[in-house]
Amino acid sequence: MISSVLARFGPKVKKSQDESYYTAGQLALIKARFMRKTSGVVAGWVLASIIMVSFFAPFFAPIDPTIRGADTNYQRGAPQAFYFWDEQGISLRPFTYTYSKDKPKIDFMALAGSGGLAALDALTSSGALSSSAQNKYNIDEQQRRYVQFFVKGWEYSLIDFSIAGLNLDLRWDRHLFGVEQGEIHLMGTDQDGKDVFSRTLHAVWITVSIAVVALIVKLFTSLLVGGISGYFGGRVDAVLMSFTEAVRVIPSIPVYLACAVALSSMDLTAVQRYFAIAVVIGALDFATLGRRLRTHILTERNQDYVLAAQLCGSSSWRIIWRHLIPSFSSYIIVDTLINFPYVILAETSLSFLGLGLTEPVNSLGVLLQKAQDPDIQQNMIWQFFPVLVFVVLIMAFVFVGDALRDAADPYSEKK
Amino acid sequence: MIADFFTSTWLLWVLLSVAGFLFWRSRSSKYFLYVFNRYLLALMTLLIVSGIVFSLMEVLPGDCAEKYIAYKSSQGEMITQADIAAERSRMGLDRSLIVRWSSWITDLTLRGDLGFSCAKRQSVNIALGDRFWMSFGFCIAGLLFAYLIAVPFGILSAYMINKPWLDKNPKYNKKQRWINSIGLSFNKVLDLKLRMISYLGLALPNFLLALSIILLYVFAGEPVPTGLFSDQWSAEPWFAVSGFQYGKLTDFLSHIWLPIFVIGWAATALQLQTVRALVVDESNKLYVDAARARGVDGMSLWVGYPVRHSISPLFNSIGFDFQRIFNDLPIVAIVIGMTDSAALLIEALAMTNDQEMAAAILFLVALVVISMNFITDIVLAAVDPRVRNSVLG
Repeated sequence: MISSVLARFGPKVKKSQDESYYTAGQLALIKARFMRKTSGVVAGWVLASIIMVSFFAPFFAPIDPTIRGADTNYQRGAPQAFYFWDEQGISLRPFTYTYSKDKPKIDFMALAGSGGLAALDALTSSGALSSSAQNKYNIDEQQRRYVQFFVKGWEYSLIDFSIAGLNLDLRWDRHLFGVEQGEIHLMGTDQDGKDVFSRTLHAVWITVSIAVVALIVKLFTSLLVGGISGYFGGRVDAVLMSFTEAVRVIPSIPVYLACAVALSSMDLTAVQRYFAIAVVIGALDFATLGRRLRTHILTERNQDYVLAAQLCGSSSWRIIWRHLIPSFSSYIIVDTLINFPYVILAETSLSFLGLGLTEPVNSLGVLLQKAQDPDIQQNMIWQFFPVLVFVVLIMAFVFVGDALRDAADPYSEKK
Repeated sequence: MIADFFTSTWLLWVLLSVAGFLFWRSRSSKYFLYVFNRYLLALMTLLIVSGIVFSLMEVLPGDCAEKYIAYKSSQGEMITQADIAAERSRMGLDRSLIVRWSSWITDLTLRGDLGFSCAKRQSVNIALGDRFWMSFGFCIAGLLFAYLIAVPFGILSAYMINKPWLDKNPKYNKKQRWINSIGLSFNKVLDLKLRMISYLGLALPNFLLALSIILLYVFAGEPVPTGLFSDQWSAEPWFAVSGFQYGKLTDFLSHIWLPIFVIGWAATALQLQTVRALVVDESNKLYVDAARARGVDGMSLWVGYPVRHSISPLFNSIGFDFQRIFNDLPIVAIVIGMTDSAALLIEALAMTNDQEMAAAILFLVALVVISMNFITDIVLAAVDPRVRNSVLG
């Protein structure tokens, strides 16, 4: 945007018409056009860094996000900020303060002594038993706790390459940052004492990987349906397309819901369930891409190169897979990338209803589900941090997808 | 006796007579041949939809007999496995899937009977009642909201970036072209803002938007406008002894904006993008240049050529927009606490496993989408010369 304004007023630069522009491949052209769009590039960097951080989430997260890492001394705790200075002076190393839990004062003697329901009534109505009163923390501003980098913590697997008996699990126990003693909760904790910041980092990767699995499944279904339907045409096409039309007409989220309910009656582990949901979301989402591919192949199958391949004795399968689909590959790639946010939204909505992934798993949908709780809305507003990350992630995906669509369109330069 | 037969199978006769009328006209008119083909296609799609929906519902755990038995055992009766089997054969649940599906279809086409809801213990038609019309109203209102905002602003957004001739026009001198280009940059900023809003609409899913609005109410300390009526009006009838109760109407209106706004939000964002892309695409076509060369200029050029031509694809997508809106409705219904058919659908799917109810709702939505697609197709073929030429050859 800014660069285009500057280019309007700046000195006129003559475009060098060198050879490389004309000999460049399709992907190089797309890349060059993409690089010209500032919003897309910025969103791309944001996206890449979010995904990098979430892929190495155990390294970037200071605390184990499972119940093992739950801090029982700091449940429902507010976020702890970094400080660089306070009344005692400036410190180059950032620090936070020590906290200690307030013991709720319940006068058992009064209850036992004067006895009766009146005292009990007064106790319950005073709010001392409510969960927010039970978890009051005193922050001791005299005792600093300095933040340290590359601290030792819980052991985690950095990358797991182990396939079929081979044990290539890279394990490490260093974390980017931590405090000397105790723990640091950048975004506070939930009611179990699990760190919201660490959970969110882990959740992003799980959500993105579900979307990847779903999109791969979707790609294969739509290539299969679109390819067969377009290549053979006629009656096969009519049957497959009316089936596609029927799938397109039924609202998808209720269908996902029915499949999720059916899955929940089976006895699946968390990982199997996770893949099953991804496969269901992917397999039912083939309609749009399948139709586009079919239209493309219908026009393309009368070309000379298809006839040549047929005369050479290629099988139909080989012609579809090696000749027809690659001629549409740039559109397929772009369409897949554009669909990323929608698949993530589908998973999130399912988990939000409590039927996708469920509580011990860290996925964005599970974390967003908590935003519905009035208690969290009023007393633990820091649990809305995952919502923020979610919106940023989806925005980044949408911007990158939009820039890519413009870049992949060969006529976009005329606009 | 015969009159009884006809009144109970009225739906079949309506379908057949429409088909017969279309077939009769199709022998003399190419247009009606197209409509007849579309009609048959729509009926076939409906059949496939019902098959998909019905087989999907089979994967839901539990069946009607088990629920009925569970209901009976909660009344204090002793139940054995043989009772369940007997109940199942009485309800016909031991027959094969195909047989049950075809009997469901015949019930539906002959009598318009959507089946029996196991959880509610009454016919689906009665249990659903006007709740489906309520959801339908919500979707239509959301659709209207989306179109009323998206179409003008999408056109505006496209109009703002699409004036490349302004700073190339030789009739302006250099100074005027400078001024024009400043104006163009300003327009581009406005366009960018509109696009940002629509991006936000895509990124913020409906349930998060509903939650944020509720959160704002919580912070402001106001009563949250969930549900359809506030407590004091929910029990009151629409018509009291003193006549129509306007208080109930205003209360209803003050609650209804939230679901409509939330439902329309994502659709608005998507439509804004679509309208903008369509108008930009159209305005670069040669016939616009040709019209400009003939001397058509300004608003009459803009409205008469690119905008007019980009409306028909938009009109064509109404059916799928309706489907997309209904798709989001269940989640919104849960967040806001509505009691329409979308909420009933979630209840039937996720809580009570009420297969026939869920199948009926899904089928009805598909029916609405298919008939909308059918109507838009035949209207477009009648109105738009480009579509007419492409489908009628």
